[in-house]
Amino acid sequence: MTRLRTENLGNALAFVLHRPHPAIQGLTRQLRVIGLELREVWPDLPAEAISADFIFYDADTGHDEQFPWAPGASPMPMIALIGSEAPGRLNWALTMGAHAQLLKPVSDKGVYAALLVARANYDRARASDALIADLEDRLSARQTVVQAVMIFVLRGKSEAEAYELLRQTAMAWRVTIEIAAARLVANHRAESPGKEDRK
Amino acid sequence: MKRSIDIGILQSQSGNYAALSVISRAGLLRGVAEVNASPDYDLCFRVCGRDPEGRTDRYAPLCREILRETGARHIFGCVTSSSRKEVIPELERFDGVLWYPLPYEGFEASERVAYLHSCPNQHLLPLLDWALPALGRRGYLVGSNYIWGWEIAQIARERIAALGGEVAGDRYLALGDCDSSHIINEIAALQPDFILNSLVGESDYAFLSQLRDLRDRTGARLQVLSCNFTECEIESSQGGAEGLIAAGPWFEPGEGRGGSIAEVARRSVHELARLLHGRPGAERLSLADLLRDAPGAARSRLDPTHFHAAQPVVIAQIREGRFHEILRHAPRAADPYLTARDRDLPSAPILRVVS
Repeated sequence: MTRLRTENLGNALAFVLHRPHPAIQGLTRQLRVIGLELREVWPDLPAEAISADFIFYDADTGHDEQFPWAPGASPMPMIALIGSEAPGRLNWALTMGAHAQLLKPVSDKGVYAALLVARANYDRARASDALIADLEDRLSARQTVVQAVMIFVLRGKSEAEAYELLRQTAMAWRVTIEIAAARLVANHRAESPGKEDRK
Repeated sequence: MKRSIDIGILQSQSGNYAALSVISRAGLLRGVAEVNASPDYDLCFRVCGRDPEGRTDRYAPLCREILRETGARHIFGCVTSSSRKEVIPELERFDGVLWYPLPYEGFEASERVAYLHSCPNQHLLPLLDWALPALGRRGYLVGSNYIWGWEIAQIARERIAALGGEVAGDRYLALGDCDSSHIINEIAALQPDFILNSLVGESDYAFLSQLRDLRDRTGARLQVLSCNFTECEIESSQGGAEGLIAAGPWFEPGEGRGGSIAEVARRSVHELARLLHGRPGAERLSLADLLRDAPGAARSRLDPTHFHAAQPVVIAQIREGRFHEILRHAPRAADPYLTARDRDLPSAPILRVVS
């Protein structure tokens, strides 16, 4: 989805989810001037919108069902087109995941800035999400690491030797310590039921 | 019988870039005189002039004055981008149109501005594309401390990197600041292959003459490149401009037209006259309508979408006080947001110099 660098807008595809209206003529003009490919759609975003680089959406009359993804889960930067600055509508626009906004009527100013700001905010949010997911994985992997160490301890190693063995194993397998631990625990479990069967 | 149409001229007659604004105004007045005398147009222009004296904060009130107190709706003028950005809100509020006949840094496309000179894909990029293979890969950037200097440096940095070059340093001087000794010392130490100079007005002339002294002392080439230096400034820089290489849509081969700033200004008056000829009342149309509905004969160099003029690219060097052409490209459309290249070459890397 990231076939676009910040400064590279010439290949970008933008969907404008707004009913035809003079208030967005400035937007469509500027998007063409800047060099984006443009599709105006209403009332729903079609499934192929998932390949878009930017979505502009109406904050005034929009609703969740217009989007082929869950609120806040857009796979591209989203720019809210705001007419009424009422808290309820702003709240909905933010829940949908606005990475930038433009006020209606959209003039010949602000569109380029909104594209770059939305892109930067989207990239930053995605990087944070990836980091959080990674940290959560590591957190849940900690228990597995302790279990893997315990396997070595049960075989007569000291705790320090067990950690060192785990580290060496991970290096030999060219995987992270967490993945090595998960494999060791899985192997151990696979062996253990067999022994129990024979009893 | 010609119909009379009021037009505004908003150009400073004093201030630290007066060399440019005075010559631009002279070109505009010459264009007006030609239009008024020509039997080819069914109209004549009456000029309502205002002088902002080179002070940025004078442009908006004087623009408003023209639009509210005279019959003019089309205004020719502004030199700096800062002054252009000052007048745009007034144009929006009072339904005016600005005809802007100076080079600028791009990244703007107001529905109320006709951009008649060149933007970076018509001056800076072809200049760098020529310069790196011809002069070497180490550049030094110097510019006036406002949007023109900053953005030219920003675009130049990206282009130089893409061409496999490097930026040895970059420095900025306030408009009117004529003490560039720290920059001269740095250039003496760094010995760049070329100096991209985006200084404007008085500080430019001082810098060029100090650089000439350095050249005389050391014998170094220190080639200067510019996207804004023109004929009318050669004298002001006291010989410092000799050897300078500039890019623009046109350079004066001889004398008598007042140089390229005056010439582009003169042509822009003709541009409006052509668009209004035979169309009574057309002066009230929006720029978009004025361009869209123009009869074939009036077909404009202005792009109907972003209102920037298509221009040839000329790279020329000053020798013995005059510009001599080095290279010329056919007229090319303006690309104000520098995105056309992305469309033309979807994923190919841009040209890289292999040395």
